[in-house]
Order: sequence, then C-alpha cells, then structure tokens
Amino acid sequence: MRRMSVFPQHGTALGLTANEIRQEVENNTSELVSDLVNLSARARFQAIRSLPVSFNERKTIRNRVNSVKLSKTMLPADCRQQVSRSFRKFRANLASARQRLVVWQDTLKEIGGRFGTSVLSYFLFLKWLLKFNLFSLVINFCFITIPQIVHAPNISNPTGFRGLELLTGVGYFNQTVLFYGGYNGEVIVSTLAYNMQLAYFFTISAYLVLCGVSLLYSMSRSFQNNFVLETGPVSGGAWRLLCSWDFSVVNEKAIQYNKNNLGIQLKESLSERLQEKNKMSLSDSIKRLSLHLLAWLLSLGLAIGSSAGIYFLGKEQLIFSFDHDPNDLKAEASTLLLPVVVSLINLIVPLLYSLISRMESYSNPRAQIYISIMRNVILKMSLLGILCFYWLNDVPNSTSSCWESFVGQSVYRLLIIDFIFCLLGIFFGEFLRNVIGTMWIQSLGVPEFDIARNVLDLIYAQTLAWIGIYYSPLLPVMQVLKLFIIFYLKKVSLSMNCQPPKHTGRAAQIQTVFIALLFFPSFVGTLAMVSFTVWRLRPSDQCGPFQGLNTPFYAIFNWIDSIHGYPESNWVWWIFENVLRSELFYYLITLIVLVITFFLWQITQGRKELIKTLREQIANEGKDKAFLLNKLQTIQKQRREMTSYRPQDFDQTPHFNPNWMNTLPMDM
Amino acid sequence: MGNKQTIFTSQQLDAYQDCTYFTRKEILRLFHRYRDLAPQLVPLDYTNQPEVRLPYELIGSMPELKDNPFRQRIAEVFSEDGEGNMTLDDFLDMFSVLSEMAPRDLKAYYAFKIYDFNNDDFICKSDLEKTLNKLTRNELTEDEVRMVCEKVIDEADLDNDGRLSLEDFQHMIVRAPDFLSTFHIRI
Repeated sequence: MRRMSVFPQHGTALGLTANEIRQEVENNTSELVSDLVNLSARARFQAIRSLPVSFNERKTIRNRVNSVKLSKTMLPADCRQQVSRSFRKFRANLASARQRLVVWQDTLKEIGGRFGTSVLSYFLFLKWLLKFNLFSLVINFCFITIPQIVHAPNISNPTGFRGLELLTGVGYFNQTVLFYGGYNGEVIVSTLAYNMQLAYFFTISAYLVLCGVSLLYSMSRSFQNNFVLETGPVSGGAWRLLCSWDFSVVNEKAIQYNKNNLGIQLKESLSERLQEKNKMSLSDSIKRLSLHLLAWLLSLGLAIGSSAGIYFLGKEQLIFSFDHDPNDLKAEASTLLLPVVVSLINLIVPLLYSLISRMESYSNPRAQIYISIMRNVILKMSLLGILCFYWLNDVPNSTSSCWESFVGQSVYRLLIIDFIFCLLGIFFGEFLRNVIGTMWIQSLGVPEFDIARNVLDLIYAQTLAWIGIYYSPLLPVMQVLKLFIIFYLKKVSLSMNCQPPKHTGRAAQIQTVFIALLFFPSFVGTLAMVSFTVWRLRPSDQCGPFQGLNTPFYAIFNWIDSIHGYPESNWVWWIFENVLRSELFYYLITLIVLVITFFLWQITQGRKELIKTLREQIANEGKDKAFLLNKLQTIQKQRREMTSYRPQDFDQTPHFNPNWMNTLPMDM
Repeated sequence: MGNKQTIFTSQQLDAYQDCTYFTRKEILRLFHRYRDLAPQLVPLDYTNQPEVRLPYELIGSMPELKDNPFRQRIAEVFSEDGEGNMTLDDFLDMFSVLSEMAPRDLKAYYAFKIYDFNNDDFICKSDLEKTLNKLTRNELTEDEVRMVCEKVIDEADLDNDGRLSLEDFQHMIVRAPDFLSTFHIRI
C-alpha cells in the first residue's frame, strides 16, 4: 500500500512553509498518477480503490489517471480501451447478478450481528458444503439419472411403497435410480451413442476431481491468510484488544456481553503475567504427563472399542441379505440397529471425552481445544474407516446380488439416522439444556454454542455423503435437504437457546484447521475408497452399470481399445497406454514435485532470515528518525533564537556550525 | 439494472464504482439508506452534486452503528470536516472500507486512525487508555488499565519510541488474521 508522505501533517512542525508543503504534495500526487498509469487496467482500479485517502482525493486521482490515459491513446489502443472498459462493465454486472443469487444474506447478517463472526463461520461453512452437494446433485441428475429415466430398464419384483422405506432405503427404493442397482450399463442408441458406463464413471470422477481442486485451493488460501509467520516478539494477549473487537456485532446485549468477556480475558492475561512462573517439581510434571497418557489411552481405547463393536455388529447384520421376504418388516427395521448404534456412539463418546479432558490440566486453552478436536476426529474417522473396511471387504463376498446397492442403502440409513439424532440433539442438547439451565439449576447457565462439535458433525455427515455418491448417485438430494433444514433449525435454536462462546481467540486459525480436516481424512479417505472400489473390486453381476466386467475400470480399458482402431483418436490411446499406465511417469512426476518443494522450502527459509534482518532495521531506523527529528528541532530553535538576539549579545551566542551534518556519528 | 435510475449520471455511478468496492446496485441501495436517515434533507436528484451533509446524530442512530462503542470515532475519521457530519461520498467511503472486500492494509490504516483519538498519527498511551475504556465496561481498575496499555506498547512498539506508529500497528495486524473478518460492518 502506498505510504502517504508525512509532510502534510508534520510539515509545519518542521518549519516548512505552506508553499513547500503544497509542492511536496503535488510531487507525491504526480508520482502516484504516473505509477498508476503504468499498471494494467484491473490492477489500476484495485490500486485506486485501496488508496487510503478521502473520497474526493481518490476521485481526483482517478480522473487525472483517466485523462492521462486518454491523452496517451492512439486509435488501436482506443479500441482496446473500449474493449477493456466493456469487459469491466460486464464483470461488474456479473458480480451484481451473482449477488442476487446469494441466498440467506439477511439471515447471515442477523446471525453475525448478534453472535459475532466465530459463530457466523459455522453457518458459512454449512453454506459452503451446501454448494458442493448442490453441484453434485445437478451433474449427477443431468448426466446419469435423466438418461437412465428416459431409457428405463424393466424393474423386477416391484414392491409397494411402505413408510419404512424412507428410513431404510430398501424395498421400493431398491431398483429405482436412487441406488447403483437402478442403473444399467447399456449404450443408449440415439443420435449420439451415449455410453452409460462411461457416463457414470466420468461424471463421478469429474465431480471428485473438482471437489479436490476446490478444497485444495480453499485450504491453501486459508492457510496463507491465517497462518502467518509467528516469529518476532512472543505475542501476549494484550494487543488483541485492538485487533479483536468485533465490529459486526450490532445487538446491544451482545455488545455488552462481548465487553464483559473482553474485560475478563484481559484480567486473566494480566494475572497470568503477575503470577510467578513457578517451576514445576519433577513429581508434578511426571504426574501431569501420566495423566495425559492415561487420558489418551482411554480415548484411543474408547475409539478402538467402539469400532470393533460396530464391526462385529455389522457382520451379524449381513445375515439379513438382499433377498429376503419383503413383508418381513421386523427384519427390515433391524437393519436400522447399526446406524442407531453408530449415532449413539457419536453422541455419547464425545461427552466422555470432555469428561476425561476435565481431569487433565492444560497449559493453555488453545491446546485443549486442538486436542479435543483431534480426539473427536480420531473417533469419527475410525468409525468410518471400520465401516468402509466392512463394506469393501465383507459385503462384496457375501451377498449374492447387488452389493453396491446394499452399501448405498447402508450409507442412506446412516445419513438419515444421523439427521434424526441431530434434530434430537438440538431439542435435548440446546432447548432442554437452556430450560434446565435457566429455570432449575441456575448455576449451569445458558448453553454455549459449541462451534467445534457442530462443525465436526457437519464434516462427518459430508464424508458419508461423499462416500455414498458412487453407490447412490442421488444421495446429494438428501444431503441438500438435510443441510437446508439444519440451517434453519440451528438458527432458531441459536436465537432462542444459546449464547456465543466466550473464548473466540484464533477463530481464523481454527477455520483453516476445519477446512484441512475436510480435505485430509474426509475427502482423501473417500477418494481412496472409491478408487479401491473402481480399481480392484468385482462389481455385482446382476445389477448396475458395470455388470459383467472384471472391475469397473475395465469399462475404460474397453473404450480405449475400441478407439484404438480409429486413426484420428490414436493419440488418446497412445497417452493412455504409454503415459498413464506406465510407472515411470509417476516416478518422474513425484521426483519433480519433491525437487520443487525443496526449492520452495529453501526460499521460505531465506525469507525468514530476511524478515529478521528487516525487523532489526526497522528498530534502527526508528532510532535514527527520532535522533534526526530532535536534531532538526534543536537547530530550528537555535536559528530562531539567533534571529531574535540583540546585537550586543552576538558574540555570546554559541557558534552555529554549518557543517553540522559532519558531526553525525559515522555508523548511521 | 439498465439505465432507468435518475439519481446519478452514469459518469457519477462509474466514478463511485471505480472508487469504492460496491457494485451499482449496492451504491443505489446505500443511497436509499442514506436518504432514509433524513428524507427532507437529501434530494432524489444528485446529478448536480448538491452539498448535503447529514449531522452526526443521524449517522450515529443507524442500526449498524448505534451500539458500536467507536461510532463517534468512525464518523469523525470518515467525514470530511472531521466532526462526524457526512456527505454521501463519506458515507459510501465508510461502508466501502468496512465491507468485506476491502484489503487488510486499507482496513488497518483506518482502524489506526479510529483508535488515534488525538489525531497525531500515533497511538500513544492515552489513546490506548481511551480505547480500553470504551471496550470494557468499567471492569478494570485504573492500575489494570495502565498495565494493559503498557503491555500493548511493549509488545507492539518496534521502533521503541513509546507509542505505536502506523507501521507498528500494521505489523500487529498481520499477526492477527481475525482482524479482516472482525473489522467489518454489514450493510
């Protein structure tokens, strides 16, 4: 950002005349204008907008820049300017059109106004996940479902619609396009041959690739913005008072609440400073360490125990296979047992974790939050991992027909039961807790909105949704509906029942951690699972688009072989055979990426050194500046005193040395 | 939206679009918000650039600002006369800087000016004490206020002159990534 000259403000203090000040300002402005003229159009307007001057000055500078640009144009450049101007207008129109599509703008403003930005981040995360699911829904619907509906296969054994289907997903939904089994892999002959196998494969892989790219981009942007270099003086908490006041909170009660919190936090940070940092004795630190170890052992034990329990429960459920008596409602309802147990574990074990963490003592609250997030993530991912293992290992070898639809139905059931538990959680966890806290047990107080727990629940549900896309292409419908309903319910529950969290420090860093969690165990795990299914497992023989093939990937092999004959598409075959299928290509790519990473790391190290040096230089320059200003002021004073002395005192005045510059120390 | 509006000439709207972070539609919406504060003072026709200045009391009564502890300083910093009486240009400028599209450096500059109560381009200890008093509800004693201010200056003052200059403040802001989202008023 352009640094505005200090002269207009301090000029008079330095004894400069008004003309000199005006001249300096004019010089600065013409420099600025010539700099701006040389930038590209887009950079120029960004630079003009971010000038830290008053609005009128900005408008003057903009007009000057425009007139300079206009005077410089020749005819071809004039056309170019017209084109760029119309392009800018088009982009502005696009931005305003996109704003009309932004949904929930007022609601988000209201939430941010009452609860602050950290609670708002939960709702923004929800909105972001909703976009993923909507996109998936649209492309799955257009590319896979519609062609299938138009050329519908004949449905065998149609059963009537009973209410239980909504929960279990079997029965009526069995052979519909909701699940994998409802698709077949024929080549639809119309004006263009539409190969359903390739469509299924490519749609889902394109969606996953786009998701991955978008997640990587968001993660790196967030990391860049929020995890800046933490070098320099050890940051205490006190400067936070200047930086953390939440201007977007407009509700009066919320503002008072925030003021209270800030006061309390400042008091705490002061008392920490005043306390002597007592050295812990050896026995104390051993005691603390062993408590930590015990807590970790307990948490991991709980996670492993629940996963093992789920696995064995799942194996028992395999007895209920696909070909059962459709009228046996009891057996069908028993398939709901597994999802209910999973959701119960997801509900109860985190509470146990918070109890466990209460017996430990942490040095700072941030470590406590991160450790609790890590434990919950381990629990959820181990549950999902064991379920995936069970689906990929045991299910394909046991049921005779359509194991993919079985997996799709299991995911469907898990999602629905998770949704129901979420609703119950809102009712009991927030509403009843609020009633208890305000009316009966006053000491409990109003519940705080626990952002971490809610976001982890969202990530868990999104992982399930991503896993299920291959086995049930229309699953995003449910996820979209679910997210919509949860948004409104959470908002209502928030306004009625909860209060904002007390410790809102480092909200931006926790945001980055959540996005990273969404990428690393969640998305990467899904990718691994889908890749394994496509690459290694044998699809079922009687249903689905890949029936009869060895693995679903054989569809690609067959297609590549089929275009081998045509000379104009030979390059595709060549790329596939010699590049994508050869291992050397991947070794080379990995090597190149490693080398580039090493270079970038070295550059980062060098920059850290540079920052340290620059910081020292700033401190030195501050001292120089203070010294020079003092010197200048004493000289001004002397000059003034000299002109006001009476002539007979002349020889008593101190001799003014015109070469005062040479009296400066050499090492400045 | 087309050229159906008659409030501004299209050059004026272009100038507003180029100098703020708002689109046409938002500028018109903000104009109507401005006008709603005092419909009898603000004309519907700005093509001949009337000199209309709304007094601070009206600006400070907006729902987005009325409970903000810094509303007076915000209005003073963004107004041309330094007293808080704002023209439409100042109004747009204020909400443009406080919108979510403004970059961090620009926001840091204006936040610095807001916290600089005596307008001497430095945040000295008395400025910090006034800020602290506005931000807490008289919960801290005099001693505690003084200690907190000393701690802030200790931690943030890079060139060791006992007060925070704009560079010190910006350096602090770089280490507080939350700043971009908290220094933000939605309108």
